[in-house]
Amino acid sequence: MTAVVVALALVVAVLTLLVLGLLRSHADILRRLHQLDGGSEGAAPAQGPRPVGRDEFTTFPEVAAPPEREGFTESRDLAGVGVDDDALTVRVTGVEHRTLVAFLSGTCLTCQRFWDAFQKPAKLGLPRDVRTVIVTKGPDQESPSAVADLAPSSLPVVMTNDAWMSYDVPGSPYFVLVDGRTGKVQGEGTGIDWPQVKGLLTQVTDDDSYAADLEARRVAKYRADDERERRVDDELLAAGIAPGDPSLFGPAVEAQGDTPDNPDSAAKPDGAVSPDSPVAPH
Amino acid sequence: MKIEAHGIRAELPAGWEGRLTRRTSGAATGRRRGGTTVVREETAPVLHMANFALPEGRGDFGSGAVDIMGTGHVLVVLVEYGADSVGTALFPTVSRVPRLTARMFSDRALQRVQRGQAGAQRFFTLKGRAFCLYTVVGDQRDAAPLARSTNDLTAQIQVTPR
Repeated sequence: MTAVVVALALVVAVLTLLVLGLLRSHADILRRLHQLDGGSEGAAPAQGPRPVGRDEFTTFPEVAAPPEREGFTESRDLAGVGVDDDALTVRVTGVEHRTLVAFLSGTCLTCQRFWDAFQKPAKLGLPRDVRTVIVTKGPDQESPSAVADLAPSSLPVVMTNDAWMSYDVPGSPYFVLVDGRTGKVQGEGTGIDWPQVKGLLTQVTDDDSYAADLEARRVAKYRADDERERRVDDELLAAGIAPGDPSLFGPAVEAQGDTPDNPDSAAKPDGAVSPDSPVAPH
Repeated sequence: MKIEAHGIRAELPAGWEGRLTRRTSGAATGRRRGGTTVVREETAPVLHMANFALPEGRGDFGSGAVDIMGTGHVLVVLVEYGADSVGTALFPTVSRVPRLTARMFSDRALQRVQRGQAGAQRFFTLKGRAFCLYTVVGDQRDAAPLARSTNDLTAQIQVTPR
């Protein structure tokens, strides 16, 4: 008898653990669904792409680390001299497209791979809304003839020292992708060749698309709710049911006939409804 | 944003970018001196300003750029001519870059005709230098507002005498 009781107790304990596990899993699912639907203030942040702080990663010893800043505080338009042009300006912010600013040097060996890759911009595989601009140091620090030999004919090359400082560039090669509409840096970093840098940029674009997709789904949900509320309000108002109308608070038995509190609710010639109107609250 | 070279300076408002370069060849002249032919190439500044992303490989009068222009776009070109043009009938002396009006824009004024586009040209001498102001709008229907934008832009162009 004791053995049976012990066995039953064990079974009950195991079943209890199972039920608790299921409840916890269910709660997890509900919480994540709630986050996907927009969630409420104070709720845990939604999963997905998130900005990574500078102290959350390190770079390889020979790879330049990105600058320790949160973002640009001033306009980052480019102005300088070119290999063909005597002066040029390139708008980076306040435009509809994104700009990939490639900081290169005419003398660094790694940069040579990028100069070669940029000779054929069509093969870079960048999205159509990305404009590539090459920036080198100014003529006082970079040989104009060396840059002229390397410069691709179909991409603007700006020789300026100011951009290196204003973009806080740690070294060359270095790449910064700027969204022209917001002026924000979408991504930045370096790599040993173009495929590697392109991979980083593609990741940025994919992450943004994913975040935008999530955002669109949330907006759609809110908009649907809002439209439904507006439609219900319109229908109720069209039926003469204003906010605070007794009919909105459930059927009242006493309200079947005229009452001293609501003498106007019996019948109105303009179609206004009484509490027992067929138009029910939604 | 300021662009300056060759005695020409322009202040570009938000959304505009520019290139100030020297005119490509064309005016090369050969001259024999003794047994050697001396080639002297006369080049003059060309300023391109646009409210869209200027492509590389543009012609002096915007070929290459006008191909990608759309509604709301405007390209402003300032081309300097040789000293022999200064003060001639075609290049009257003015005190500032001439203003444009919507009525000046016509598809017949285009160097290279593009559907829907319209252009305007003004020749003048400013500070002893002969220029052509050539402007193209991406859509002729926008000529009025874009002419105003162009006038605001060209009003602050400064030219230094040679």
